[in-house]
Amino acid sequence: MKCAWLVVLIFAILSLLTGCAPKPATDTGPTPNVDTPQSSGLAPEAAQTFTIGMSQCNRGEPWRVQMDEDIKTAAAEHPELEVLFKDAQNKTEQQQAQVREFIAQGVDLIIISPKEALPLTKPVDEAMAANIPVIVLDRKIEGDNYTCFIGGDNVLIGREAGKYMVELLGGKGKVVELQGLATSTPAGERHKGFMEGIEGSEIEIIFSADCQWLEPNAQREMNSALSRFEQIDAVYAHNDPSAHGAYQAAKQEGKGREKTIKFIGIDALPHEGVKYVEEGILAATFQYPTGGREAIEVALKILAGEKVPKNITLGTRKFTPDNVKSGGEEIPAPEG
Amino acid sequence: MRFLGRHRGIAALVAVFILGCIVSPRNLRTGEIVFLTPGNQSNVLFEYSEYGLLAVGMTLVILTAGIDLSVGSVLGFIATLFSFLIIAKGVSLGPAVLICIIAGCGIGATNGLLVAKLRIQPFVATLAMMVAARGAAKLVSGGIKIAHGARPWYILQDAPPRVFEWMTAPYAGGWLRPVTLLFLVTIILAALIVRYTRFGRYLYAVGGNEEAARLSGVDVARTKILAYLISGITAALAGISSACRMGYGDPEAGATFELDAIAAVVIGGSSLMGGRGGVMLTLIGTLIIGYVNKILSLIGWQEAQRLLAKGVIIVLAVVIQETRRRRV
Repeated sequence: MKCAWLVVLIFAILSLLTGCAPKPATDTGPTPNVDTPQSSGLAPEAAQTFTIGMSQCNRGEPWRVQMDEDIKTAAAEHPELEVLFKDAQNKTEQQQAQVREFIAQGVDLIIISPKEALPLTKPVDEAMAANIPVIVLDRKIEGDNYTCFIGGDNVLIGREAGKYMVELLGGKGKVVELQGLATSTPAGERHKGFMEGIEGSEIEIIFSADCQWLEPNAQREMNSALSRFEQIDAVYAHNDPSAHGAYQAAKQEGKGREKTIKFIGIDALPHEGVKYVEEGILAATFQYPTGGREAIEVALKILAGEKVPKNITLGTRKFTPDNVKSGGEEIPAPEG
Repeated sequence: MRFLGRHRGIAALVAVFILGCIVSPRNLRTGEIVFLTPGNQSNVLFEYSEYGLLAVGMTLVILTAGIDLSVGSVLGFIATLFSFLIIAKGVSLGPAVLICIIAGCGIGATNGLLVAKLRIQPFVATLAMMVAARGAAKLVSGGIKIAHGARPWYILQDAPPRVFEWMTAPYAGGWLRPVTLLFLVTIILAALIVRYTRFGRYLYAVGGNEEAARLSGVDVARTKILAYLISGITAALAGISSACRMGYGDPEAGATFELDAIAAVVIGGSSLMGGRGGVMLTLIGTLIIGYVNKILSLIGWQEAQRLLAKGVIIVLAVVIQETRRRRV
């Protein structure tokens, strides 16, 4: 018996710590909004406050930490907004539960950056059925039962990187491509865009490897490329950590090749890519926008009852040593 | 043939090396076999020094029939802690290294106490530590990489710490990178300890037959705690190496490294059941993994084939080990 009490006590402490008391019904399915009177109140008054639920698929990646950060900063400018952040820790079931928790809590709007499309479509449907508008960020869900999708355009970013590479090398040179996880769509799109960007030039990709977005892998692959090729003019890396890894490899080789090879990265996080450009490590980085700030702008419009476009494609910003001090150069997304 | 039978690890290493020479691409201008170039050879040692350091500590733990799943996360934690101390707090090198080693000792000793005194399964105890250490890494770093200039209040802002550069700079054509030396010196020290000290003999005794060891007067708990403690220290050294090699402390560093470290130990020929193996075998295992990865990287194979090839090689290594055990 003592043992059972101990278990109950531990459970009670744990639920206090995690801020969620034991719920009697976790799988109530499609009728979770019984006790959520404010969720249907879409017509706001001036002094009203709004609660936004933000479900992030994981906070392990710096880019996603930045997305939360952008949302927080943008929301801080609007005292009427309160944002509740949840981290699904890369678990789809957990993210499903989070959306349902937000519905049960009766938030006024949900922002979700989904881990997977199909399994999260149903919870989003449920939110829409409960009259809670949903903004989908970065990755899509199935169908079109959501209020607004906001996302970056990887093909555009890859194409801009390719064009800049042509400009940087004068239309001719030998390039190493350090890919992200080859099976992931962003890597495929960043590659496709880049090939479009260098089309018609005499730029040749002499070595290409799957680095799975990871810097240690990029560093190793670059070592192989360096020992194989005496002439490498530039490196196109699918993300900034990989570009930095390639730079480290060239520097640690000790032949001073880090000074002659041009490194281009993608993502442009303030503490990462942009900083590398400022330090002269990268020749350029292209922002993959998190959409956090835009999500809050769109949320405000939705909450004010305005109409918003169904899909918003974000442009990119180019950061080079010339413009990095002034915040980069904006490249808008093509219309349509 | 008997020599090869007894030294299967070395035979496998030689086989992999020859394979590397055969399939390696040639330098387009000089016609050199790229795989054989000194630069490439020193790169393998340099790139796998972190895995190697982890594998050294892992060998000692596995000799006692234990396992240490926490080493990868400890590497990440120490990498962030070391960077935090130096870059954010401006602590000088000596104290920073000392604090990191002490932290590694503390983690290792905790693992050892959980296993030896509280009798928790090594797998479970170190799994818990693996999760907790990753949490600690994220706590120290606030979720971002600890690099110069990443936060406005960091003391060191304009360039990476000098020690980072110094630890990775190539001397003598790349053969004397301090990170590589740290690995080699550690592995030699560990090999000497295991071979020539009483503690070393106890490791085999505990792993071979714990009850018999206890009855013959071996302090089993102390031996185990010391093995995990050393594993904590080598993980701390690997963490410092990681920070230097990357130029910052990454809270995600070392993820899944524990599996590669275990693989290096097993491929080297030490038994997961404990009591059989050795530190120098682990060096061979690390080199085999390093060479295989380097060959696949040099010839530019895609990830899918690489993973398959690695799987096959690990199975082969274990099969060779099994046949030997049956024969003995």
